[in-house]
Amino acid sequence: MYRDALREAIDEEMARDKTVFIIGEGIAERGGSYKVTEGLLAKYGPKRVRDTPIAEAGMIGVGVGAAIAGARPIVEILYVDFAMLGMDMLVNQAAKFRLMTGGDGRVPFVMRTQGGTGGGVAAQHSQSLEALFYHIPGLKVVMPSVPADAKGLLKYALRQSDPVMFLEHKHLYMTKGLVPEGEHIIEFGKADIKRPGKDVTIIAWSNMIPRALEAAAKLAEEGIDAEVLDPRTLVPLDKEAILTSVAKTNRVVIVQEAVRRGGVASDIASIIQEEAFYQLDAPIEIVAGLNIPVPFNLELEKASVPQVPGIMAAVRRSLHLAPAAIAAQ
Amino acid sequence: MARPILMPQVGQDLTEGKIVALRVKVGDKVKKGDIVADVESEKATFEVEAFETGTILEVRHKVGDTATVLQPLMLVGEEGEVIASANAGTAPAASAVPLAAAQQPTIVRQSQGKAGSSPLARRLAGEAGVDIAGIAGSGPGGAVVKKDVEAMRRSAPAVTTPPAASGALRTLQAGTGDPVVFVHGFGADLSAWRPFVLHLGIKNPVLAFDLAAHGANADVQADGFDALTGMARGLIAQAGVTRLHLVGHSLGAAVAASLAGGGDLDVRSLSLISPAGLGPKVNGDFVSGFLSSTSEAALNVWLGLLVHNPAQLPGALVRATMAAREGSMLADSQRRLASGVFSGNTQLFSIRDALQRFSGPTRVIVGQEDRIIPAEYARTVPGQVAVHVLAQTGHLPQLEAAQLVARLVTETVRSAG
Repeated sequence: MYRDALREAIDEEMARDKTVFIIGEGIAERGGSYKVTEGLLAKYGPKRVRDTPIAEAGMIGVGVGAAIAGARPIVEILYVDFAMLGMDMLVNQAAKFRLMTGGDGRVPFVMRTQGGTGGGVAAQHSQSLEALFYHIPGLKVVMPSVPADAKGLLKYALRQSDPVMFLEHKHLYMTKGLVPEGEHIIEFGKADIKRPGKDVTIIAWSNMIPRALEAAAKLAEEGIDAEVLDPRTLVPLDKEAILTSVAKTNRVVIVQEAVRRGGVASDIASIIQEEAFYQLDAPIEIVAGLNIPVPFNLELEKASVPQVPGIMAAVRRSLHLAPAAIAAQ
Repeated sequence: MARPILMPQVGQDLTEGKIVALRVKVGDKVKKGDIVADVESEKATFEVEAFETGTILEVRHKVGDTATVLQPLMLVGEEGEVIASANAGTAPAASAVPLAAAQQPTIVRQSQGKAGSSPLARRLAGEAGVDIAGIAGSGPGGAVVKKDVEAMRRSAPAVTTPPAASGALRTLQAGTGDPVVFVHGFGADLSAWRPFVLHLGIKNPVLAFDLAAHGANADVQADGFDALTGMARGLIAQAGVTRLHLVGHSLGAAVAASLAGGGDLDVRSLSLISPAGLGPKVNGDFVSGFLSSTSEAALNVWLGLLVHNPAQLPGALVRATMAAREGSMLADSQRRLASGVFSGNTQLFSIRDALQRFSGPTRVIVGQEDRIIPAEYARTVPGQVAVHVLAQTGHLPQLEAAQLVARLVTETVRSAG
């Protein structure tokens, strides 16, 4: 499972590198709210696996400071929503330090947190805030969608030396998938084709990947062969993989759980239109969350973010299939 | 695959026209040059001719409809052919059926609003030298998308027509009296005269024909100036015309002068617009650039040399020129003709003797800023010839100063009595 893959990565890197430590709320004794850190306290002791008070500003500050001082801290923030308390440390300190020291100072800091909907936990515990970090030069933004990527990307995060926003998804912790044992490392900036296809490129990440794959499977029954591309890291973004896929399919649907306005999808669309305009046979479709706070009511929560039928409809539009045909589905 | 017959552009500012007669119906066989419809603009009625030989597969309008310029009026293809729109190779064979079933036949364009085309479709059409305006779109609202261009490209080659001069003379305007016969220049065709004819103030019938290696006679070869003139003389004789006025442009003006000086036809008057054959120089770069252009963008650059102010160059001219080359031997025939009448920057023929021999009213109209043939040659014509040098005008006075040139031609025709 996704959470076991994450634990495997942390475990392996803590064993390999004595400077790796992890702090967070309830991660030591309780093993973490999502059970990612279970068993690590017993193995590595309270100095390297440490519970903190509910004080995100302090936790992130400690992490950034320790990273500057040469350690490799992992700070687990229970909900990405609460990472907002540490924005000064992230945006003004961690993201800038390398540049402002002329490259001498590095911040090998990993903030592990999770976002997204699916729990009925309302507006302050359900946001997808990757665009905020994406906007800040100096931060790496990682959003694994499957267990194998979760492990490979986290191991790479703990070996490189820039601040990483490692954004997990609350809905993915219990998802299953094969995970290579041992040295499985995925470099940042390498997209993965989760499903090859030739009619349309669906670009999605995090929890939108399972949804895009489900849509693609259903579209296959209609004779539509969709390619599902997972950038895996939004910063750095694998532009080449995206442009290669667009050159093949000539049609793009971008799916993001985050709200539509000011989102990463818009930026990817802008890159595609700029660099592959004459490859496009249809307008780029973006399927995204509504521009509203996520509702508490579970049904309304579902309605506020992309679902399979919406992705399928966008694909059909990009293939110029008439609305009548869509209605008949 | 079906190819469209387009609503022609008959005036610079014409955007639509009314269909007053349909001369064919679905299932009829047509050959290249046949008249398939009559269309009326605000100023005139004109005929639409088939540029393809085949069977009428679809007629998109009925009499009384208004059709948009450069949009398909009807589709021509092979008998029994189904007009394919879905599944242009984007779906695997096994899954093609559901995709096709899900697809609505939306190939008919909406007459209102701009249907447009996808960037990819425009790029592919440009690379193929296909006029995108002539492609029936299957995208939203009739937009032209990739598979439409691909379908068009697959249908383009392998249309062969027997090499015989089609028809004799085409009527551009009905009337009474001695006909005025128009001869187009190198690289154009008879339809180039349509906008100009609207400006004329004469009651005479106005006729025109396509020179060898041009328009409907794209596959008629002419290796030199004499062959070109001989073919023109044959067409006029075939039409039974013996008494006529001649108006020509550039190479066509040279043909007209040569016919007038031949003595076998009763030529009443001669109007020569930017005539070739008055001196040795011609812009050989233009000729070769024009012939070798394989994209609209490239062609646009060369055609820009024709006019003093490139903004006056109608976009439709570029598109139509490009579209005419598609799937035909036009470019090959014209290359062959060019090598017979021009050598680099030199014109290999002269009309000086013919002009000297012709005794009827003659006018030469040139643009001061002509970049194809030097305007100064107009000063060397025999004394009986009236010369008009138009300021701020290039090689296409009939387009750049249409009203003035029409007036001069009208005066020339009338002066013959």
